[in-house]
Amino acid sequence: MMRRAREWMMAVVALCLTATSLQPLAAEGVRGGTLRLLAASAAGSLDPKINYTLQYWSVYQYIYDGLVTFKQAAGEEGFTIVPDLAEAMPVPRDGGKTYVFQLRKGIQFADGRTVTVKDVVSSFQRIFKVSSPTAGSFYNGIVGADLCLKTPATCTLAGGVVGDEAAGTITFHLVAPDAEFFDKLAVPHGVVLPADTPARDMGSTPIVGTGAYMFAAYDPNKQLRIVRNPHFKEWSKDAQPDGYPDEIHYDFGLTGQAQITAIENGQADWTLDEPPPDRLAEIGTKYKDQVHINTLTAMWYVPMNTNLPPFNSLKARQAVNFAIDRNAAVKLFGGNALAQPACQVLPPGFPGYEPYCPYTKSPGSRWSAPDLARARQLVQESGTAGQKVTIIVADTTAAQALGTYLQSVLNSIGYDASVKTISGNIQFTYIQNTNNKVQISVSTWYQDYPAASDFLHVLFGCDSFHPGTDASINISGFCDKAIDAKMKHALATAATDASAANREWAAIDKLVTDQAPAAVLFTPKHLDFVSNRVKHFVFNPQYYWLHTASWIQ
Amino acid sequence: MLSLLVRRTAQMLFVMAGISILVFLIFFATPGSDPASRIAGRNASPEVLAAVRHDFGLDRPLPVQYALMMQHLFITHDLTSFVNRGQRVIPEVIEAAPVTLSLVLGAAVFWVIGSIGIGVLAAATRDSVVDRLLMAAGLIGISMPVYWLGEIVNLVTQSRFHDTWLFSWVPPLGYTAFTEDPWLWFKTLLLPWMTLAILYIGLYGRVLRANLVEAMQEDYIRTARAKGLSESRILLHHALRTSLIAFVTLFGLDFGALVGGGALLTEVVFGLQGVGKLTYDALRNLDLPVIMATVMYASFFVVFANALVDITYATLDPRVRLA
Amino acid sequence: MTESPPAPSEPGQAYSGRVEPPAMGPWARALRLLAADRAAMLSLALLAMITALCLAAPLYATYVAHTDPFVSNVDGEITLRGKRVPVVQPSTEGLGLGSAPLGPTWEIGNFLLGADEQGRDIAARLLYGGRNSLLIAGASTVLCLVLAALTGLVAGFFGGFVDTVISRVLDVLWAFPIYLLAISLSIVLITKGFDIGPISISAGSLALPILIIGIVYVPYVARPIRGQVLSLKESEFVLAATALGVPAQRILLRDILPHVMTTLIVFVPLLMAINMLTESALSFLSIGVQPPDASWGTIIQDGTNLIYTRPMVAIAPGIAIVLTVLSLNLLGDGVRDALDPRSKLRLR
Repeated sequence: MMRRAREWMMAVVALCLTATSLQPLAAEGVRGGTLRLLAASAAGSLDPKINYTLQYWSVYQYIYDGLVTFKQAAGEEGFTIVPDLAEAMPVPRDGGKTYVFQLRKGIQFADGRTVTVKDVVSSFQRIFKVSSPTAGSFYNGIVGADLCLKTPATCTLAGGVVGDEAAGTITFHLVAPDAEFFDKLAVPHGVVLPADTPARDMGSTPIVGTGAYMFAAYDPNKQLRIVRNPHFKEWSKDAQPDGYPDEIHYDFGLTGQAQITAIENGQADWTLDEPPPDRLAEIGTKYKDQVHINTLTAMWYVPMNTNLPPFNSLKARQAVNFAIDRNAAVKLFGGNALAQPACQVLPPGFPGYEPYCPYTKSPGSRWSAPDLARARQLVQESGTAGQKVTIIVADTTAAQALGTYLQSVLNSIGYDASVKTISGNIQFTYIQNTNNKVQISVSTWYQDYPAASDFLHVLFGCDSFHPGTDASINISGFCDKAIDAKMKHALATAATDASAANREWAAIDKLVTDQAPAAVLFTPKHLDFVSNRVKHFVFNPQYYWLHTASWIQ
Repeated sequence: MLSLLVRRTAQMLFVMAGISILVFLIFFATPGSDPASRIAGRNASPEVLAAVRHDFGLDRPLPVQYALMMQHLFITHDLTSFVNRGQRVIPEVIEAAPVTLSLVLGAAVFWVIGSIGIGVLAAATRDSVVDRLLMAAGLIGISMPVYWLGEIVNLVTQSRFHDTWLFSWVPPLGYTAFTEDPWLWFKTLLLPWMTLAILYIGLYGRVLRANLVEAMQEDYIRTARAKGLSESRILLHHALRTSLIAFVTLFGLDFGALVGGGALLTEVVFGLQGVGKLTYDALRNLDLPVIMATVMYASFFVVFANALVDITYATLDPRVRLA
Repeated sequence: MTESPPAPSEPGQAYSGRVEPPAMGPWARALRLLAADRAAMLSLALLAMITALCLAAPLYATYVAHTDPFVSNVDGEITLRGKRVPVVQPSTEGLGLGSAPLGPTWEIGNFLLGADEQGRDIAARLLYGGRNSLLIAGASTVLCLVLAALTGLVAGFFGGFVDTVISRVLDVLWAFPIYLLAISLSIVLITKGFDIGPISISAGSLALPILIIGIVYVPYVARPIRGQVLSLKESEFVLAATALGVPAQRILLRDILPHVMTTLIVFVPLLMAINMLTESALSFLSIGVQPPDASWGTIIQDGTNLIYTRPMVAIAPGIAIVLTVLSLNLLGDGVRDALDPRSKLRLR
């Protein structure tokens, strides 16, 4: 009798314990703790108007706010643009040339000051004053921008960005309708900073923002420390949610191997960098519950210089496309779980994407196998056989492996190929400068925001080709007047009819792919390896892992 | 003595000036070294590029840029990086210096003691199995690339056997200052010390053994033996002194180079933010101000160490006159 | 009856207990002594075997292994113990991330030491790599020792202004950031070639690493030699020779150089090892050995990316370097012993 009672009591106790432990996991996490992030190096200037790296754009999400922003959600929803400092998404007026934003009241910067219309207007002027990288490409559609580009120091954007303190509104006047206007406002270059922020690159000195967190300290050689914004009150869960961790420490300097080991040991929570390929099997088996793989709208591709021999010949470029075994490329990158072979410019899931692959054994919609015979034949027909070709790659493991593989492929179809490695920080600008006479290279492209033009127009449009400078993102130097005209038409159509525009982009995608200014290799997936402390992993397709949406156990 | 010091100092300045000019010229002769576009960001328009170039003073003639950089570095002490805008270079180097110093000093203790021990033992047991094994072990040490060795050490101590009693004491990679936590400082540096030292123990041991063996055949050693001194006393007190000339010379060269940032791969693989790591990052980014500062720092120590070594020749071998 | 008395030794020298070979010229005597040194002969044989194997690399690749070690073989397959096995095997467990190259099969001619991440036969690459490594390391070592001996002897012996100039040049050389020069050079060579008069140097020219490595390490050998010469300069026999009016070159060559030879010989295996590894750093920057060519150093570099999955890729060339260096070391000891007339004295 006694024993049964005791067993019964223990059962009740056990049930109570499990009941209490079931509580917080399901819906809400626990606030508190310090998140420890790792990266091989810092990403340069902390100034949100200057910095153009994904590394810091992911961080700016919870430090700064713009008039609008990308929704802090996972999946497709993460591409939606929602109002942030603005009360609501404005309806375009004047045939799409005027937007009036109503500023929310009562939002404070991290130093206690309230956000005013003046702050917003001066933030846009500042884009030009500090010579932001996208001043000329994203914000040149604002009235008065051309004057600002000529004389940045005295930029007023008069007639372009007009603030009304009394009404609390900011009015934008565009030169022409722009379907991507909200995207351009949503990226960090469009965030709102205090009006008295100096008009120069603030570098390592943090600027206050309105987000849930603020920068506490920054040493580019060691650590970026982020703490909660004491003056923050959540006004929109979609735009700027209150986060879970109390502090975030972003440490720099460990090698790729050391980072993975640190996360495995629980000494750190996440790393920005791709894991070294020879640790993939380990984390894919022993630590598979800590691995999150998400699809990306990005590509690894091989731009070929269309203005230099041998790739100024269409047949030569097509030959390269036929010869590359994209399965091998995927294997070198990390396997089928991490990449998907691709032939065309637009990645799957992108607006305007229609599967298309002409460069395979049986051309159709998907890639299946390389066609070496056809490739060799094309090389012979082009008359470029035997020419010397130099491949320029960055010094990352994956890029070098792909470069060596590409060299082998080019040699097998009749060229005399060699591979040269340059530091990753320099390679990207090196291959853009036509003075360096780069014939072929291995590069990557990640979207700025989800618009087909960001892949096709930016990479293969005549406007992006600036010979003799380090900033000529149209690396192939591809400029086809007819296709360019179609792109401009699609851009204009997008302002009024998105689905018609998407159809046009799909057609342009096929045309550009047929001209083969590049050989697209694969669509990479993004791998995040977190420690076992991190719970509730949310992946936003625009800014990747939302650091503050996770909590620490 | 004073005139010697003055002359050597003047020569040191001359050497450093020469190196700084060479570095400057090499940098600007390198295609793709122009930092303007990397700073301006991808897809920057030509106007933006021009503005950034002007901001950095990159559109001025080279001698002017050189003079300005030297002024910022040595006179006004406010030289800033190309890559991390606004970051002052000199405080960066000063912060990194103790890390490198800790690493190199500790490793030096290991390798000096270790190589003297090996060299003396090998010379004493010359041509025996012990001698052969010691020399073989030393040569294996030289043949291992330091980055690979460091990764192996990390693989064993941080990854595979981290949880065993053997290596659970190994702290996470990174550096803790001696003033913050001396015991943690020691634990953090112990494995890097040994990794760095292995490379040099074999080399120094080998050189010392050869010099000892030769010295043991000198006339004055025969005299000492005839006088009845014990073999070990002869080896340690008489032969060792003159055999140390090559040893000390090499030590001056290596130590000078290492303190100035030569141990960069060791620092990289163990996550120590020293001058070497700073140099490594600056080279990969082609960040000229940081490269210039670290090169000046390194060349100072090399020249200084060599000068010290020259002075010690007189103490080791009294017959040598100071140049 | 007593035994025949031991062979007479020269006056003033301790009894050696060893029968002297019949009188002949010093070089012939040295060769004879060397030939009698078993350790040295064994190491010479080992060196000869390594060199022969490396020279026979094309034979191994074509007739034994039937593979082209310079062509990427990521999707290739081989037959191992009756089964078809992929050379680069994707992971199938867990999430199926990553892939591992074939490990050592220990079957001669069939990926004996396994494959690297591009699916190429390591054993074949090792042999080809040996040619590049031995050539570059050997040539740069010789260059370095010759230059170092010259500068060290001249600086140490003549002293004064000559010594100051040479020593400061050596300082500049040692303090100079060679990696900066290498990075710059590699980018310059990609863009344009290097043309000095009739000589055109491309990035793949092996003369580049030979020259760079040979010159960079000159201070490392020259300064110890200079130090030794400073010491020797004051010894009695040199002072005597100077007093007799013997010209400087003769003193240097006949009296000082033999003592300095020991240091030079000791440095041969040390420099070989160092040079092989330095060469891999240069090759990483695209100067010297270009992909898909290999050297032991570049294979080690490939292997450093595979430590966690296929450590053999880095260990195999490491062992090759160690064997070469060890045998050079033993041989060097033997040569030194054979050449040095006093080394007959084996003091116990």
